[in-house]
Amino acid sequence: MDVLAIRNLKKNFGSKKVLCGLDLSVPEHSIFGFIGKNGAGKTTTMKAILGLLKSDGGKIYIMGEKVHFGKTSTNRHIGYLPDVPEFYSYMTSLEYLTLCGEVCGMDKAGIMTRSKELLELVGLGQEGRRIKGFSRGMKQRLGIAQALLNRPKLLICDEPTSALDPAGRKEILDILLAAKEQTTVLFSTHILSDVERICTEAAFLHDGKIAMQGSITELRNKQSSDGFIIETEQKWAADTLIKTFGDLQRTEQNTLVFHGGEDRFFSIMQYVVENRIPIQIIERIEPTLESLFLEVIK
Amino acid sequence: MKPLLAFMKKEYLEAARTGKLLILILLFVLFGIMNPAVAKLTPWMMEMLSDTIAESGLIVTNIQVDAMSSWTQFFKNIPMALIAFVLIFSDLFTKEYKSGTLLLVLTKGLSRYEVVFAKTLLLLSLWTFCYGICFAITYGYNAYFWDNGIVNNLFSSAAIWWLFGIWVICLIVLFSSLLQNNTGVSLCTGGTVLLAYLLSLIPKVKVYSPTILMDTNSLLIGAESVDAYIKAVIIAAISGVICIAGSVPVMNKKQL
Repeated sequence: MDVLAIRNLKKNFGSKKVLCGLDLSVPEHSIFGFIGKNGAGKTTTMKAILGLLKSDGGKIYIMGEKVHFGKTSTNRHIGYLPDVPEFYSYMTSLEYLTLCGEVCGMDKAGIMTRSKELLELVGLGQEGRRIKGFSRGMKQRLGIAQALLNRPKLLICDEPTSALDPAGRKEILDILLAAKEQTTVLFSTHILSDVERICTEAAFLHDGKIAMQGSITELRNKQSSDGFIIETEQKWAADTLIKTFGDLQRTEQNTLVFHGGEDRFFSIMQYVVENRIPIQIIERIEPTLESLFLEVIK
Repeated sequence: MKPLLAFMKKEYLEAARTGKLLILILLFVLFGIMNPAVAKLTPWMMEMLSDTIAESGLIVTNIQVDAMSSWTQFFKNIPMALIAFVLIFSDLFTKEYKSGTLLLVLTKGLSRYEVVFAKTLLLLSLWTFCYGICFAITYGYNAYFWDNGIVNNLFSSAAIWWLFGIWVICLIVLFSSLLQNNTGVSLCTGGTVLLAYLLSLIPKVKVYSPTILMDTNSLLIGAESVDAYIKAVIIAAISGVICIAGSVPVMNKKQL
């Protein structure tokens, strides 16, 4: 079953068309990477899912229930972490989670156990200070804790790792990976290594539409090998190859990159064998999401 | 109901921890003490200044002060306290729009009307509480120094002025749900009061304008009865309810 289904979603800001007929399905228990350039409409889509933004057309369903702008009933299935989460700075993290728990209608004992469990999970268990003194990474972690509080069916994270240092990023990704056991995660990002690391599915948003969607393996397979890297032992060998084959690109003194079909590659290999050119490494360039992304947005 | 109570609790905690509550209490206590103090000190001040005044040809005779002077002072000072109240709380909604703090609680299932109601109840209760403190202090000192009995319609006058404060609060809530920044909220609230005042200058309209609720002098000296204020009271109450009820759909359609 799809936790989230979006059909033909449209949104304009003035004359600027941000979303023009977006279709998206997020299957249960996946970690779904929502990839797009800055300004592609990722946040707009997320706000529409949460009923915070009025769309100009299309339908959104959460667990089969239709989302209406300004109404919050479908949000009981959702945990949301905005890109820069803002909290009431005069509260402590436990007080904030208590407020959130009471707002979602949880009982007192439930709030206490769940809050403590989540604060431990995100590493804020020992933090007694008010939120005012929190770093960005700590706020992001508290954001995940509040989003997971009512055991949502869908956790939506808007660029959760964009503003963090590598250590902070790793922490957040690990928490999201751990959250997969309990919920479905939809997170937007433009950091593709994060997607490759934890996502099971991904979709590319481009020109207001989903340009490509599928499991990570499917997406990788959509693109044929990107080319080869040939590293020679000596510089003269590289020089000879470049002179003979104009389409080789030099990246380092002895390293050449070749883009093109298999036939072309074998003719280079044939030349190498015939002229006994000493080669150190021949490596196939694996297709990456990054190259796929660049191809999509071309 | 539970989300509303939880959000109200947050509102009171915010007022307390951000120091707004303390400032308000200090301000209203100060005004409460000032009213009788100014009345009490007036003869002494006049005596101090009598020489200067005499030079300009005026002779200061024995000045009589009583509870009436103190209550006149109360109704002169309370507008300033209300202005301070408006300025302190003009960012009650707009601060949340700007910082984005509402986003998370709304996505947790809090309804937007509950945001409007919680904040309105905070303002109404704080105004009632602070106004009550100010009134009680002035009343206590007046009873100690003089006799509150000489003042006519004291409690009705106080209630009428309290209602004017409530009306202004309803305006704050309406403009807070309409506008994005607190300067706009203060200006529009002030502008509406000014407009109501200008309308009250037209003799036929006067009795309907909520701004006459501020002018309780004639009620205190017994020149007029409470009946003269009934129409304005009804208009203030109805327009106040309309403001709050109108804020809910405005808030529902607000893009955050």
